[in-house]
Formats: sequence, C-alpha cells, structure tokens
Amino acid sequence: MQGIAHKKKLYTPIDSWKRRWLLPGSFLLLSFLLMILPLEGFISSLKAVLSYIFIPQVRVSHSVVQYGQGVSNTVQELLRAHYENQQLKQEIETAQLLSAQATEVFAENQRLTQLLKLPFSHPWRGVWAKVAYREPTRWNTVILDKGTADGIKERSAVIAVENGQEGLAGVVVEATESTSKVLLVRDEEFSAAVRLENGDEGLLVGNGPRPVQIKYIPLLAQVNKGDKVYTSLSSSVFPAGILVGEVNETYEGENFQTALTVNITPQVRASAVKEVFVILEDGIKR
Amino acid sequence: MLNALKLICLFILATVFHWAFASLFVRWGFSVNIILVFVTAFCALLKEPLAYSMAFLCGLFLDFFSTKLFGNNAFTFTVCACLVCNIVDRFDFDELFPQMVAVFGLSWLAGLLNTVLVAVFADSSAWPGFWSILGGAILNALFAPLVFWMIRKVAGNSSLRRQG
Repeated sequence: MQGIAHKKKLYTPIDSWKRRWLLPGSFLLLSFLLMILPLEGFISSLKAVLSYIFIPQVRVSHSVVQYGQGVSNTVQELLRAHYENQQLKQEIETAQLLSAQATEVFAENQRLTQLLKLPFSHPWRGVWAKVAYREPTRWNTVILDKGTADGIKERSAVIAVENGQEGLAGVVVEATESTSKVLLVRDEEFSAAVRLENGDEGLLVGNGPRPVQIKYIPLLAQVNKGDKVYTSLSSSVFPAGILVGEVNETYEGENFQTALTVNITPQVRASAVKEVFVILEDGIKR
Repeated sequence: MLNALKLICLFILATVFHWAFASLFVRWGFSVNIILVFVTAFCALLKEPLAYSMAFLCGLFLDFFSTKLFGNNAFTFTVCACLVCNIVDRFDFDELFPQMVAVFGLSWLAGLLNTVLVAVFADSSAWPGFWSILGGAILNALFAPLVFWMIRKVAGNSSLRRQG
C-alpha cells in the first residue's frame, strides 16, 4: 500500500503534462528537423532506409490498384457485351421477322410467276384477288381483298390454282365494297351440281374435316378412281366445266342403296387458296 | 505480438487504401487523403502513444514520395493527431456525424498546413486548388465511417484500444 501511495505521489500535474506532450512534441521536433535539413545527404539516406519498409507496401498497393482497374475493365467489358448482346438479339428478332416476310413474299412471287406462265383458256371474265385473311371462327371461309367495287357479287364462282392446274375454290357468300367472303369447297354448307367424266351428275357437298362427297350418283354408274369431276351445266351458280377434283373412293350411300356416294380429292386444297380468280356474273355467258 | 501484427496490418491497410483511392480520384482532380482518415481514426480509437506513432509513420510514408520537402506530412499528421487526441473525450466518435465532421475539418487543416510548410521551407507551391481540396475533403468525410468500422474490426477489444 505504501508503495502504491509512493507511486501515486510521483504523478504531479507537470509529470502528467510531460507524459502527454513528450511523444507528440518529439515527433513534431523530429519532423521539423527533417524539414529544415537539405534533401541530400542524411535525408536521402533516410529515404533509402524507408524504402525497405515502404516499397513492399507500395508494390502491394500498386498491385491492388491494378487488379481493381482490371476488375473495373472486366466489368465494363461485361456490361458492354451485355448491351451488345441485347442489341444483337433485337437485330436477330428483326432479321427473323424480315426473313419470314421475305419467305412469304418469295412464295407469293413464285405463285404469281406460275400464274403468269399459265395458258388460261377458260372463257370467263373476272378479277384476280388475294386472300386477305381467314375467318378465325370459321376456318373454311376466306376474306378477299376485293369487293363490289371490282364487280364481285354474291354467288360469284371462285377458282384458284394449285400445281399449275386451276380448280374450283369456292363461292362468294358476302360482298362489301372492298372485301368479299368466300365459302370454300370443303365447308359443310357448300354444295354444287357436278358432272363426272362419264357424264353422270351428282351433288357435291363439303364435309368439313371429312372428305368432300358427291351424292346421288346413279347406282349403276361406272365410276373409277381418278375420274375427273367438273362443275355441271345444270348448276345455277357455277359455270360449267370448272375442274373440281378427282374421284378418290366410291361406295354405296346410305340412301337405301339407291345411289352411289363418291369421295373426291379437291383440285385446290383449302390451304393452297392464296390468289384467286373470281368469275364475274356478266362474264359467265361470254 | 498479436497487437504488433494488428498495427502492421492497419498500417498496410491505410497505405493500400490511400494509394488505391488517390490513384482512382486523381483523374477527376480530387486530392483524396484516405491515410488522413486512418490517422483520425487511429487517434480516436487507439491509445495515444500508438496513435501518435502511427500518425508520424503515416506522414513519413507520404513524405517518402515527396520530392519538394521531407517531413512536412509527418509534421502535419502529428499536429492533426494532437488535435484529435485532445478533443476525443468531448465527441462521440461512435456516431457517424462526428467522424465525418472531424475528417472534413482535418482535411482542410492538413491541406492548408501542408501548403504553408511547403511554401515556407521549400519555397514552392503545393496548393492543389480550392475545388480539389473541397472535393477531397467531402470524399474523405464519406469514407470516414468505413475506415472507423475497419479499424474497430481489426483492433477489436485488444489493449490497442483507447480506454473510457
């Protein structure tokens, strides 16, 4: 206890002040001396000594900075690559769209070229029209880009070309000034009087997704697979002689075996109806 | 031994950060002085003798690269250390705002004192410009919380820390 009391007595205010300011004072004095000394001689020797202490840190710092700059550059490159990637994706999408359009235009061009080369010999007068779109709610009807302004009326016959051969495509059921709706052969509401190659006549009816049929052919008629079917002279809507398709299958119908029913393959498939020729009413008799 | 390693680690951290940030911000003309932020944090968090020694050593580190004068940074940092060690009891350096205000003020003091010392002893100009000093002081103040946090983490509750 006495020792502690003795020690406590040693810390007078002056001693405390000395303890507090001795170290910073020494450093201030030392740095002041360093400032007033010339940079050659002692100072350069001191710098040389300090270089052994500081150079490794400087190297580490420099490496860290360089690494950081490398990371920064890498991040910038990644961001640039990401931006370029986005741009390229957009360009690819645009190119794909253009490619699809070009394919469609090319196909249309081929079809039109084929049409131009065809030696049409039919006697009818009419107008060419393009399919604008299909009715989504009724797949076997198409809308044409021409209407009454071009002379198209309801009940006008419509023909199209597939594989270089023209054939019956359907009939106009509605017409506005600039558009007209065509009921295709395959539609269940479609019907037309037709004639087989052997002269027998029947009623062609669409059958939706099932084969197109010709009904009411005499039971004893000689019908062979591959026989051509044309529109009949007795039809009130279609001019005679338009190729409809060819016989695919013959069987006895359900009408108490009094008539044959024939399945036919239409000359123009519904999916091939792109450009059509609409026969104008006053052009039939020419 | 562990404490000595911690001090060495802190010194290396200070120099690496200073070098990195000075290189980074010099392209925008800001004279960032991160090592001064470390000195402020040393004085606020470590025992006085250690704080003075670290401040002097950090100043010598900067003087090592100086070509005009040798010892001016050591002098400036020692003066700054004296100031912080004498006001540390009156401010709560656990809060962010006092840390930032102290660093902002000391950045100005160090810049001005350094300029005066170089002008007097080397008959040269070391004034980097008002906006450079202001930008550097603001950036120093913004980095202060991070530096204080790092020193607390490294020093932990060891005997390096200031008591009370």
